[in-house]
Amino acid sequence: MKLLEITGLVARYGAGDVLKGLDLTVDEGEIVALLGSNGAGKSTTLRAISGLVANLSGGIVFAGRSIVGLKPEAIVRLGISHVPEGRRVFPGLTVRENIALGASNRRGVSRRQLAGEVEEMLGFFADLRRLEHALGWTLSGGQQQMVAVARGLMAKPRLLLLDEPSLGLAPLIVQQVFRIIADIRARGTTVLLVEQNAHMALGVADRGYVLETGRLLVSGRPDELWSNPQVRAAYLGGAAVAG
Amino acid sequence: MQLLFTGFGIGAIYALVALGFVLLIRAAAVVNFGQGEFAMLGAYLMVIGFNVLALPYWLSIILSVLLMAAFGVVFAATTYWPLRHRGGLPVIISTIGASIFLENLVLVLYGPEAAQIDGLFDAPGIQVGPVFMDSQYLSIIVVAALLVALQYAVFEKTLLGKKLQATSQDKEMASLLGIPVATMILITFAYSSALGGIAGILVAPILFVSTGMAGLIALKAFAANIIGGYGSIPGAILGGLSLGIVETLGAAYISVPYKDAFAFLMLLIFLLVRPQGLFGERIAEKA
Ligand SMILES: Nc1ncnc2c1ncn2[C@@H]1O[C@H](COP(=O)(O)OP(=O)(O)O)[C@@H](O)[C@H]1O
Ligand SMILES: [Mg+2]
Repeated sequence: MKLLEITGLVARYGAGDVLKGLDLTVDEGEIVALLGSNGAGKSTTLRAISGLVANLSGGIVFAGRSIVGLKPEAIVRLGISHVPEGRRVFPGLTVRENIALGASNRRGVSRRQLAGEVEEMLGFFADLRRLEHALGWTLSGGQQQMVAVARGLMAKPRLLLLDEPSLGLAPLIVQQVFRIIADIRARGTTVLLVEQNAHMALGVADRGYVLETGRLLVSGRPDELWSNPQVRAAYLGGAAVAG
Repeated sequence: MQLLFTGFGIGAIYALVALGFVLLIRAAAVVNFGQGEFAMLGAYLMVIGFNVLALPYWLSIILSVLLMAAFGVVFAATTYWPLRHRGGLPVIISTIGASIFLENLVLVLYGPEAAQIDGLFDAPGIQVGPVFMDSQYLSIIVVAALLVALQYAVFEKTLLGKKLQATSQDKEMASLLGIPVATMILITFAYSSALGGIAGILVAPILFVSTGMAGLIALKAFAANIIGGYGSIPGAILGGLSLGIVETLGAAYISVPYKDAFAFLMLLIFLLVRPQGLFGERIAEKA
């Protein structure tokens, strides 16, 4: 079943089109990777889905309902949680508080229930346990990424948007992050994953899309993308392993 | 000692106004030049409620504070909301315009003559050792302390407080989590305006109520903010208190007519010697 369907998406910042007619679907239960070099429009795609791009045209349908023109607050309430580029952990709040705020899209969560769910997250991201009272700005990049993902999961989303979760992390931590992504899907959450690290992303994804300056270059299963010479040369070469 | 007490009382007023000023800087990146007018309006509402309409004192206070909170929302909707995507300067200019408008509105509606209100208590005060504690100054200090404690409790102990903090730290991220950012900003405006109003109501029995009080209080609040550390909440409180004390001591030992110049002087000294203030900002705007 189609969970997200994007058709002919055009997004603009100022004068130029950043997305030039993008078609993309995500089925329920999938991990879909969105690949492409720096500046291709990957983050813009996620921002458009979340309602952060004012100037756009085309269709975005989530669970059978058009979400174009809705505010970010409304979109996350429908079940799309966005873990943005740069993690954006609140610097002046603690790990626990950051995570708890992830449930702000759900109504009627009691204090007690919220505390229980935060506990659950601290169990899932065991490294955060000893940091629960540390302020956001004191965390390392990898710790911030864990907090950002945990916070995103607190929304109990049907679709999780992850923007470059591996960026700037040490290889060991990257592997940990990708294990978590696989776990998240195993728990029933659909994931749209933006990555420059194509090797890792296609390792966990069911399907992938490759963007080039706002247009779709190619899409398909990981093995299809691996065997496409154009893609291999441009995006899946040695450079992509970095990070 | 007596002077310290008086300075502390007047400083508490500056601290309250400075606190409202800082909260708007943090929540909405708004440098509000109308902060002094909040105090002025609060005082005038009190004059109208108690002196003109002859309502009971406490009812006048409650109504004035509620009206000031509502006014904060109106203020936000008119001076901030239409310009919120245009950056800092247009909003600053808009708050300057609003402050001029409000002072003139009061002149037109109430007239230029200064008004006076009674203090909170009939009793003049109590003698504690060498210090005579004037009842109004004592009220100011107690109310200000309660408000600071209440604010701390709300910001640090409640989910609403965390959402307000999150909004002030990263609005876009807050909206992605489903926090109603616009509502959070309106709440901050309402609270900031009510704080200013309370300061005006508290200071009204000490000063004459006039349109001139707005500019003076705004200047002190601004100075308190710089002295304490730009955008710092504890800084606003300590900055306000130290300003009140320095000013009172200065008036007593150096010169009464130049009392208000001490605020300028202290502001200049801090800008030259310690521009980051007492509490240099520790939290960067963005992680
Ligand atoms: N806020 C913005 N204003 C103007 N241009 C932007 C903005 N954000 C991104 N862009 C431009 O849009 C293009 C796509 O950016 P982005 O979606 O961030 O790419 P990616 O995530 O694939 O690296 C880039 O050329 C970038 O410079
Ligand atoms: Mg990007």
